[in-house]
Amino acid sequence: MTDRSTWTFVALAALLVVVAGAMPLLADARPAYEIPSPTVEDDLDGTDASGWEDVPAAEVPLESAPSGLPNAEMVSTRSVEVQAARSDGEVYLRMQWQDEEASESASAPQAFADAVAVQIPADPGVQPAIAMGSQSNLVNVWYWNADTGTEELLAGGQGSTTEFEDASVQTWAEHTGSGEDGTWTVVFNRPVDPAGDNRTAITGGEDLDIAFGVWDGGNAERSGHKAVSEWYYLPLAGDSGGPPFESILWAIAGIAIVAVVVVTIQGIRRVRTGGGE
Amino acid sequence: MAHDNIEIADGVDHQVAMVMDLNKCIGCQTCTVACKTLWTEREGTEYMYWNNVETRPGKGYPRNWEQKGGGWESEEHTQRTPGEIPSSEDYGEAWEFDHEGILKEGEDKKLAPEGGKPEWGPNWDEDQGAGEHPNSYYFYLPRICNHCTHPSCVEACPRQAVYKREEDGVVLVDQDRCRGYRYCVEGCPYKKIYYNAVSKNSEKCVFCYPRIEGEGPDDEVHPPACADQCVTQLRLVGYLDDTDGPIYKLVEQYEVALPLHPEYQTTPNVYYIPPFAPPQHSRDGETVDAERIPRSYLEQLFGDRVNDALETIERERQKVERGGYSELMEILQDTNPAEQYRLEVFDDV
Repeated sequence: MTDRSTWTFVALAALLVVVAGAMPLLADARPAYEIPSPTVEDDLDGTDASGWEDVPAAEVPLESAPSGLPNAEMVSTRSVEVQAARSDGEVYLRMQWQDEEASESASAPQAFADAVAVQIPADPGVQPAIAMGSQSNLVNVWYWNADTGTEELLAGGQGSTTEFEDASVQTWAEHTGSGEDGTWTVVFNRPVDPAGDNRTAITGGEDLDIAFGVWDGGNAERSGHKAVSEWYYLPLAGDSGGPPFESILWAIAGIAIVAVVVVTIQGIRRVRTGGGE
Repeated sequence: MAHDNIEIADGVDHQVAMVMDLNKCIGCQTCTVACKTLWTEREGTEYMYWNNVETRPGKGYPRNWEQKGGGWESEEHTQRTPGEIPSSEDYGEAWEFDHEGILKEGEDKKLAPEGGKPEWGPNWDEDQGAGEHPNSYYFYLPRICNHCTHPSCVEACPRQAVYKREEDGVVLVDQDRCRGYRYCVEGCPYKKIYYNAVSKNSEKCVFCYPRIEGEGPDDEVHPPACADQCVTQLRLVGYLDDTDGPIYKLVEQYEVALPLHPEYQTTPNVYYIPPFAPPQHSRDGETVDAERIPRSYLEQLFGDRVNDALETIERERQKVERGGYSELMEILQDTNPAEQYRLEVFDDV
């Protein structure tokens, strides 16, 4: 084998490394139910903050919650796009979903406001029952309502939601467009480990279960009449940082491939050179 | 217990009850104003009438409430009937008047609701009634929450914010638990729970519980304001299981006081003595042997038992006419407040 063909092999191997490195982005190879949660330096305060541009989004399908309430199965929202990010001791979630028209007031007997919620276990170690947890396994709920604003709630089963005093959650919300293009964007933000009993500490070290719910006020959705997800999770185990960690793994794999290829080529060359003498 | 033969909700010691004699109602709305002044002059309650008086036949308050569902499918109380929330228009918006401008600043305009001509409001169809001259008819129907034995509003609430009080069966909305979902509003077939868009909670008639508990400034027990203020004193207030009281006798013994729309299956604890009207007249003004208020209409409101009730009252009346004694007629004409309002009978038990 000539030097030229050796370099061709090396170039091919290098290409392989690049492709391998780009694989997670190209193939979106993250596990099902994972919401990537990168650490972001840029600003995340706001529905349009620059930091959100670099945060990958997960499309989370929603279905009606089996609450037994009248019309419970008739829900409007089919999916919600979720982005999660961490930044300097803070956790951020941006949720976007299609809603033709904003329902922002509950100021008449028949008027209900749009709303969205995030549910996480109070104790991240054990996954609670999906429907608002249970008495022995509580959940934290971050709730935003287009009429009444933000609430931080504690729940231990259906019908048990109770508001925390002094919410540690803040939100930004905006409805843009109309008709097919109508979209709600709501950003939740909370310190990773705020003071107070029963508040989930999101300090990393283990993955965090997370679920989502959306209410279409225009469809009189409220209470358990809502569109909800299954349990998803934020990959915080080992405080990995999500995609950068994956990239490192892929890069190591790529380097290993190059090394193997180069060593193999060198070996073949030596054998051939030796055989020709 | 004194109420072995009376149906009282599980877990309730005694059941408050009210009997309203529709033959005495003159539609003056003093009860409505008494209630409004005491309970619903807060922000967000302007449109609410926990006590209202509507003209019958008529659409009622909120408009067409009888067509809006709620209650139970059957007396098994397992399946609730779906209901709907009345619209603001059905209740009637609270009208604003420019008293300040007209009375103080001398503005030259008529005292009329601001913001356009109203098209509906509580008791809008007052005295319209039904029937052809000279046999037209109407009567008044005062309504409060029925504090039902099987309250479908309690069952409808996914947060157990609506509950039936243990000591006297008064149905209340826990304002701290309520999150304004309004399943109770749609679940009540009488549409007697109202959404407050300012507090974002639902609220309702509380049977003036601080008054019946003697928690007022004078520490005395008082009947609910609607009963106390009634010009013709048409309401009796007490406990259904007070077997010596007039309510028990009218409801259980003589069976002349009937719940409104028993087919809703909530077992109300407000009862009505059905209305009598003069018989029909011919064109010449002669009395005709025909009832002015069609019996079928009263059956619609009070069920088939209204026939026996009317018959019993008629029979007892004739007894008195013949010079006899009728306990029933005595009860219906009693003006002794101690008998009319028996609210302390179980206090020492």
